[in-house]
Amino acid sequence: MIEIKAIGKSFRRRGKKRKGRYEAEPAGSGPIIHALEEVTFIAENGMILGLLGPNGAGKTTLLRILSTALKPTMGTASFDGVDIIQSPLEVRRRIGFLSDNTGLYGRLTAREMIEYFGMLHGIKRRVIKDRVEELIGLLSMKEFIDKRNDTLSSGMKQKVSIARTLIHDPQIVMFDEPTTGLDVAAAEAILEFIESCKQQGKTVLFCTHHMHEVERLCDSVVMLRQGRLCFKGTPQQMLIQTGQARLDKAFLVFVDSGGQANA
Amino acid sequence: MRNVLVIYLKELREVLRDRRTLLFMFLMPTIIVPVLMNLVIGFTVHMEKKARTETLGYAIFGGEYLPKLREAFENEQGFETVSISSPNDIESAIASEKIKFAIVIPESAGRQLEDSNQVTIRLYYNDATVASRANIRAAKVIRAFGERLRAERLTKLGLESPRSQDNLLNPIALEEHGTANMREILGERLGGMLPYFFIIFSFMGAMYTAIDIGAGEKERGTLETLLLAPVPRWQIVLGKFLVLFTTGVTAALLCLTSVGLLLATKGKEITGTMQEVLQSISLTDFVLVGAMLVPTAAIFASLLLCISIYARSYREAGVYCGPLNMIVIIPAVIAMLPGIELNWMTAMVPVMNISLAIKELLKGTMDYLILAAILGSTFFVAGALLVFTTWWFGREAVLFRE
Repeated sequence: MIEIKAIGKSFRRRGKKRKGRYEAEPAGSGPIIHALEEVTFIAENGMILGLLGPNGAGKTTLLRILSTALKPTMGTASFDGVDIIQSPLEVRRRIGFLSDNTGLYGRLTAREMIEYFGMLHGIKRRVIKDRVEELIGLLSMKEFIDKRNDTLSSGMKQKVSIARTLIHDPQIVMFDEPTTGLDVAAAEAILEFIESCKQQGKTVLFCTHHMHEVERLCDSVVMLRQGRLCFKGTPQQMLIQTGQARLDKAFLVFVDSGGQANA
Repeated sequence: MRNVLVIYLKELREVLRDRRTLLFMFLMPTIIVPVLMNLVIGFTVHMEKKARTETLGYAIFGGEYLPKLREAFENEQGFETVSISSPNDIESAIASEKIKFAIVIPESAGRQLEDSNQVTIRLYYNDATVASRANIRAAKVIRAFGERLRAERLTKLGLESPRSQDNLLNPIALEEHGTANMREILGERLGGMLPYFFIIFSFMGAMYTAIDIGAGEKERGTLETLLLAPVPRWQIVLGKFLVLFTTGVTAALLCLTSVGLLLATKGKEITGTMQEVLQSISLTDFVLVGAMLVPTAAIFASLLLCISIYARSYREAGVYCGPLNMIVIIPAVIAMLPGIELNWMTAMVPVMNISLAIKELLKGTMDYLILAAILGSTFFVAGALLVFTTWWFGREAVLFRE
């Protein structure tokens, strides 16, 4: 279970203002931007939770905090009771993270790259070898597993990224816009993979802009707007609350007004 | 420490598959530097020899007024008379290398000598040619001629023995005794240039790798993935630092080894004092020079990692490394300047102290107490920078700059 408790993240912005909610600028320093404010929700085990919001809403910041890359300025979160602030290394052992801009080491082969992350997760060499073979079969990577990553197509690269994410068999998997920039076949492979995660009983946190993916995959959704939580519930409840027939329309209602103006 | 090793080996594997890094790490120090040095030394020796022995074409005007001087030039080996129509053509003849020098003797020369007066002889040559020895060789003949005339005049005055003539002309004899041995003199020249090469390579050897494993990771999107592995940040820093340290040290030591081998082989071809000098530089001296380069490479590894991890892209990192390059070069160049010596003050200036210490080692005049202090302070600076790099690497504002 993922439990997020009143998470907030603020930082000073140097240079020109961008997206986000700004506070009055204290004398002698840059403006303070509140990327996240008191975000609280729970994702139960075995469910796919959609994380929605327009650009700059704080989705990536939230995922970075949950993956322990960033530290929250307030609140905390836990994965099956393991706190992200108290035990960041333990959290990292339990999660897998995949985003659209996840890169690969171009001068390593796909196999070397996957094995590298297996070793960083402290898995024994023999176990890694077995696990890699298992993933090769699962993701149909046999023909390119020993080719250098910089020679692979975007679909192949995405498969390598998935294998890298799963090498330590995490119970919780987070996806940050994983299908962005992919062709239909590669995107479909990702969506099928997310479905298979659910079938294996994994908890999935899924950040996307594509509402058809939400309709297809998500058991529940949370929506952020300007760093604040503006909706949590099922996709069906989102439609009911906004009075819309389609999720993309409902999404826009929340973007424009925070979901307050029912049609 | 297993993670440090895993990161180190992975980074090293990538480095060894990168042509740019291999170029700076292996090819430049082992082949290009010795070849360049060999060419420069060979060319200098050749030009020097040529300037000393080549046949010099010359023109003489007014030779009939001082026939003995003309004969002296005709009898001197390595000179060849070239006919030029007029003294007005001297400059163009020298510029076109038809002649190397020209002598103009005034019409009054014979009469002036008979009256025991002074004769002014003009010598024309190309003084823009640094390696030219034409003026020296011509002046030598003229000076010898003048000395003969002087001796004749003194004999006429009753001073017949050469000794009494010398006593009159040089009432005080100055006998200079330079205390520096040949190794010191050559070490001062050679030792000024070589540390520059070694230091530059310990920097350049690590530079491209640093850009790749810091800013490159950010640009490719692999850094965030690495940060999500269950590995403490300090272990990531240490793994990356060790790779930069390895590439920097390898490049510098390869440069040192190839220069050492070059000097050892060239030393056999050279005879006399120079051979003695080269033989007096022992293997221990080279090992100590290598030991100085180890903490230097550590300083550069930390600095480069800091800059690279701050940059958002290859390009930005390249922009930052340019000025850093200058910061490295300037202390190394200052140490090459005459008058800059190793003392307790200069021993505390990073990079410059290494350059000066290498110079002292090659000269054979190292104060080993200062050497120990330099090694200690350089290791301290390297360690402090590594601690700073680890702190720097932990900052969100650095890792997730937008």
